[in-house]
Amino acid sequence: MFVSLIASILYAGDLDTFKNGEGTVKISGGTAHIPVMKEAAKRIMQLNPDIQISIAGGGSGAGIKQVGEGLVDIGNSGRKATDEEIHKYGLKMFNWAIDGVGVVVNPKNSVKVISKEGLKDIFSGKVKSWKSLGGPDKNINVYTRDEASGTREVFWGKALDKGKITAKANVVVSNGAMKSAIANDPYGIGYVSAGHIDMSVSPVALDGVLPSLENVKNDKYKVARGLYSNTKGEPSGLTKKFIEYLFSAEGQQIASQKGFIPVK
Amino acid sequence: MRFEHILEKIFLSAAIISVFVTVFIFGFMFFLGFPLIEGGHFFRLLTQSWMPDRGIYGIYPMIIGTLSIASLALFFSFPLSIGCAALICNADGGKLSWMLKKAVQLMTGVPTVVYGFVGIFLLVPIIRELFNGGAGMCILSASLLLAILISPTMILFFAESFAQVPKSYLYAVDALGGSKAQKLLYVIIPSSWHGILTGLVLSLGRAMGDTLIALMIAGNAVAIPHSVLDSARSLTSHIALVIAADFDSLEFRTLFACGIVLYVFTTLIVIVIRRVGVFSGHSVS
Amino acid sequence: MRIIEKCIIPFSWLCALILLSAVGCLMGYLFIKGLSSLNLALIFGNVKPLDALLFRRQVFDGLFPAIIGTLILVLLSVSIAIPIGVSAGIYMAEYATGRIKKIFSLFFDILAGIPSIVVGLFGFSVAVFLHHYVSKRIYPCLLISALSLAFLVLPYLIRATQVALETLPNNIRKTAPALGATRFQNIFYVLIPQSLASIISGTILSIGRCAEDTAVIMLTGVVAMAGVPQSLFGHYEALPFYIYYISSQYTDSNELMKGYGAAIILLMICVGLFSVAFFIKRRVRQYVLYQP
Repeated sequence: MFVSLIASILYAGDLDTFKNGEGTVKISGGTAHIPVMKEAAKRIMQLNPDIQISIAGGGSGAGIKQVGEGLVDIGNSGRKATDEEIHKYGLKMFNWAIDGVGVVVNPKNSVKVISKEGLKDIFSGKVKSWKSLGGPDKNINVYTRDEASGTREVFWGKALDKGKITAKANVVVSNGAMKSAIANDPYGIGYVSAGHIDMSVSPVALDGVLPSLENVKNDKYKVARGLYSNTKGEPSGLTKKFIEYLFSAEGQQIASQKGFIPVK
Repeated sequence: MRFEHILEKIFLSAAIISVFVTVFIFGFMFFLGFPLIEGGHFFRLLTQSWMPDRGIYGIYPMIIGTLSIASLALFFSFPLSIGCAALICNADGGKLSWMLKKAVQLMTGVPTVVYGFVGIFLLVPIIRELFNGGAGMCILSASLLLAILISPTMILFFAESFAQVPKSYLYAVDALGGSKAQKLLYVIIPSSWHGILTGLVLSLGRAMGDTLIALMIAGNAVAIPHSVLDSARSLTSHIALVIAADFDSLEFRTLFACGIVLYVFTTLIVIVIRRVGVFSGHSVS
Repeated sequence: MRIIEKCIIPFSWLCALILLSAVGCLMGYLFIKGLSSLNLALIFGNVKPLDALLFRRQVFDGLFPAIIGTLILVLLSVSIAIPIGVSAGIYMAEYATGRIKKIFSLFFDILAGIPSIVVGLFGFSVAVFLHHYVSKRIYPCLLISALSLAFLVLPYLIRATQVALETLPNNIRKTAPALGATRFQNIFYVLIPQSLASIISGTILSIGRCAEDTAVIMLTGVVAMAGVPQSLFGHYEALPFYIYYISSQYTDSNELMKGYGAAIILLMICVGLFSVAFFIKRRVRQYVLYQP
């Protein structure tokens, strides 16, 4: 609270563009982006009550689709939009932070290291018990994300090498949901945005590398992705100001506060 | 009177709007899901599994999920409701029966999302510890909560049917020296079987149509469940989960297939009730 | 046979016990965990209550936007549903006969049976359809949600009005016409006032239904954060969605506590509404049955 107060005084200049004017900005998409979006929206709306910023989740797929259809102004995605999507909707992408996708287990779980092969076996359902990994003799509860998730895309592509995810996996709808599911299940395993990892879950080192921010920064941890905000065509007006705010000193500071790596 | 005439027409148009809405809902879904039916896809959809990475969008696992969760919930709820209704009826409208009825009426007001919320934090860990396997998010947990959700309405319905048994029957049993239990077993329950069946079918409809409990508690896995401890997805939670998909894709259109299936199920249920039910103008809300 | 007879009474006691204790445990857990979070800060966050109520400042850490959102939503949907529902109910009770009545009745029963998420899906598709073909400015929003919720509760209102009117004793029904009143005068001045309490009870039930429903609003415009709703065509927050959202995505124990508090508030609102509705209905029943 105190830090953000000081910060907001120091970086006050970045919010100046929002002082006048009014309008709405509708944001939806990647759930990893939500903490940053919420903080930014809060600061802007506190400064100028005539501006309304609404934030919804839905996953990267939802964000891209909705901004493409014109249902929202900014569609967040945790994966790069495909060429097809860019072409179909005329998207403009803005990458304002870097994030990783880490494997997580419950803090009570003693398993701290996993090999890539082991990971693939677990998620495909081949390995069913924690025993073979040195854990208790209980079934592994696999958690995965819904299909619109960018986190899932990145995990599936880079960590599982496009391997199979078992159909028996429990499906949760956002990074936050994955975190609380794992935090509540001592025998669960899942994957979550590195920026979201906190005391309630414990990260697992993949091939010896922990999904920490340093490891993502110096490219040691390979399962990384950019956080994008997409707009349909060039952004204008309030939308443009919001995007510029994300890239401003204050915006980047919010991003790093929430656990991501700012691009500037 | 011209005024009278106009008024009647206004009321009529209100009724027609309502009918129109009912038809429109089905029509819209049918229209939007039409590409599926056109390609002969529809029946294939009903029998295939959901494998989007292979381009197969069958909703069969979800149908099984809905049916298992709903029927298991009914299985738990039915004896419970008969028992409670019997108690209400047996206490002969005295203090106890009044209190029980009030308690049940209060229970009908509990929102689904609150049940789901508490279920996640209370029920799921219990189930997980109790039964060695599984994450606790399974058909069993969802059915238990669903049973608690639909029981109050079922109990009230049964209690009303029991109360409508003609008094002459009850007096006859008394005259013959029958006990309360005998009265219940041999007279009241058999003569209200219409009401019991109606209540049962109505609750089945409610159980199948519930979204939140299945979404929050049943795990949402796409595999066909093989045991009550398996995670499953219902048609309703499937709609909530896939709504974010690309609007023009085949994947999204399967949602309309889900909608059509649900709509047809519930319509069949309504028709069955009207055939069986004897309670016209009877509402227990 | 004797065994079943002997067992049935204890069995029914057992059932009542099981049900009551199950619900008691669930609600008890909710209250034990959540009672401590019930304070003004839960609703208003860091903002002074008066400022928030006068919309001078936005509330970010509290339930206030969600509560206002639910309030406005319920108001809108019930005001759309009441005219149509009550009129249709009057039609069914007073004017419809024979085949038309049976057919309409069938349709209304079907409407009552449609799962809420299917209504939500319908609302969402209509919104996107309109967005494509009518105006780019239409998207899932407060108005669409209110309309969908109105469709959801319409059958309850129709049925409540219809039953209320149909169960009026014949002597009341026939008095005014015997004195020379027209059909309309009869309905407006005699029948409706007599059944008003039942209709109101049905209305309150519908309000409760709108307040608690999550599936419909999830698909038609409710979002995780939007502040107090500023326009009919904008996104909004709502209490039941907040509870759902928090349950799966709480970031710390603080937020979880808020979720418990929200659940308690919603529970109190809905149970309260239902109790009032039952109370009114019971009063009416006594009055109607014991008419001299």
